[in-house]
Amino acid sequence: MIPQFQHQQASSFVLWFDNYLLTKGRAFTNTTGDFVHYSDERVPSVYTPFGSKYKQWVCDSSISGATIPSGVYVNGAFVGRAVGADNSTSAQILDFDNGRVLLSGVATGASVTGSYAAKEFNVYYSNETEEDLLIENRFRPQSKIGTDLEFNYPAPYDQVVPAAYVCNASFKNTPFAFGGMQKTTTNFNTIVVAENPYQVDGVLSLFADSANQSFVDVPFDDFPFTEYGDLKSGLYDYEALKTRYANDNKYFIERVKTSKIADKPRKSLVNDLYIGFVDFDVSIMRYPR
Amino acid sequence: MAKKVTIRSFGQQLANYVVGEFTKRNKKAFQQRIIAAFQRIKQEMLDEFLEHPVSVEIAGGPDATNTSKTLDGYGNLFSFIGFTEGEEPLSPIIELLNASRIEHIRDTSDGFLMKIFIPASSDIFDVTPMPWADGRSWAEGIERGISGFGRYLNIDTITSRSGAGIESQGVIRRGKFKNSPYISALIGKYAKKFEQISNTVVFTGL
Repeated sequence: MIPQFQHQQASSFVLWFDNYLLTKGRAFTNTTGDFVHYSDERVPSVYTPFGSKYKQWVCDSSISGATIPSGVYVNGAFVGRAVGADNSTSAQILDFDNGRVLLSGVATGASVTGSYAAKEFNVYYSNETEEDLLIENRFRPQSKIGTDLEFNYPAPYDQVVPAAYVCNASFKNTPFAFGGMQKTTTNFNTIVVAENPYQVDGVLSLFADSANQSFVDVPFDDFPFTEYGDLKSGLYDYEALKTRYANDNKYFIERVKTSKIADKPRKSLVNDLYIGFVDFDVSIMRYPR
Repeated sequence: MAKKVTIRSFGQQLANYVVGEFTKRNKKAFQQRIIAAFQRIKQEMLDEFLEHPVSVEIAGGPDATNTSKTLDGYGNLFSFIGFTEGEEPLSPIIELLNASRIEHIRDTSDGFLMKIFIPASSDIFDVTPMPWADGRSWAEGIERGISGFGRYLNIDTITSRSGAGIESQGVIRRGKFKNSPYISALIGKYAKKFEQISNTVVFTGL
């Protein structure tokens, strides 16, 4: 099936959400550190994965002050990834989504180090319901990484918190103008899972102020990531992307409501985590037929 | 230049004058009828709210059955939402609906004008917080979808807030909440009904 409206809208929303959080909240930390080798059956055998202590890295060059890696140091020598049409065929892949590097032709015992900006909030798009996310998931808190021998790096596809989970909750069309124009309203519910009240309050406060903002519709082909979480062209700049589609129809954030789970029910969760919700009503006028 | 007066406009003026005079002379009786019509529709609105399957089920407390079918027949909304036993979640809504009022505004050339105030959906959403997250409204959730975060076990337990459901630390039961028209539909319907009363204008928002 070719990408539909909802696919494109959800990916556009996630790109906006991530950029907003990093730009306005400066929710990242520049860091340098060692990478740990681990095995990952999902990666082709030509690659050797080396993971950092953090999950998602900032890849958006428009974020001022963030260190966007272009390679890593292997045994002291810089190894950059090829900048080409599609980095998935490169000998070195930076997997921004999993905070790791996939290297070919490098021994598993090699010393790998690198600098990058680690996100303070990982951003995930989720198809799970809120209750499934909150009750069934065993969240991995970032602060525990490295403190436990069994958990000295985040496993390849584990979800690490603090994190924001964007869920596409519902969608409806209402007639708007003669000629078949409809107003499409989508509810995005975002669940914020944090390790302390400061973090959750920060994200809630930031997004409560995002009402009446608009964001661009990014075509599926321009989604910046490859299947391995690297950048398709080696560079991703949300501001540049925004400018490219500035004259196109935009999504409008009509309403934002924030709330937090009260302390009493919160304590009944398996992990002692802080949970908040940001509920967005996003609309766009369009001709769906 | 002399103003041209057509027969039709003269007839219309005369009709307006007659209706205006008639209304003014019978103002009290007219107002009483309008107020009676307002009270009747207000009562209808309250009754319809209380007879709504969701309201009936919530009023039934932790032992009610899922007659609203919003939970596929399993458990009930009172426990699903996570209300405390003895709590009366409908009370703030009844109070707001009851606060609907009619006021005389001013006399006009053709009689008088009255203003009807009824609560807006947002007023009701503001007074119906989820028991576990203040910023969210359970009444709005009925229309837009409620998180099953207060997913429950349909057993009596002392750890339960409602007496028949507990917050889960594991997977308990499947079943998705089905949205149902509720407050917005009720307010929309009755705003239109109140508009039918002559010599009145309707405002939503108290």
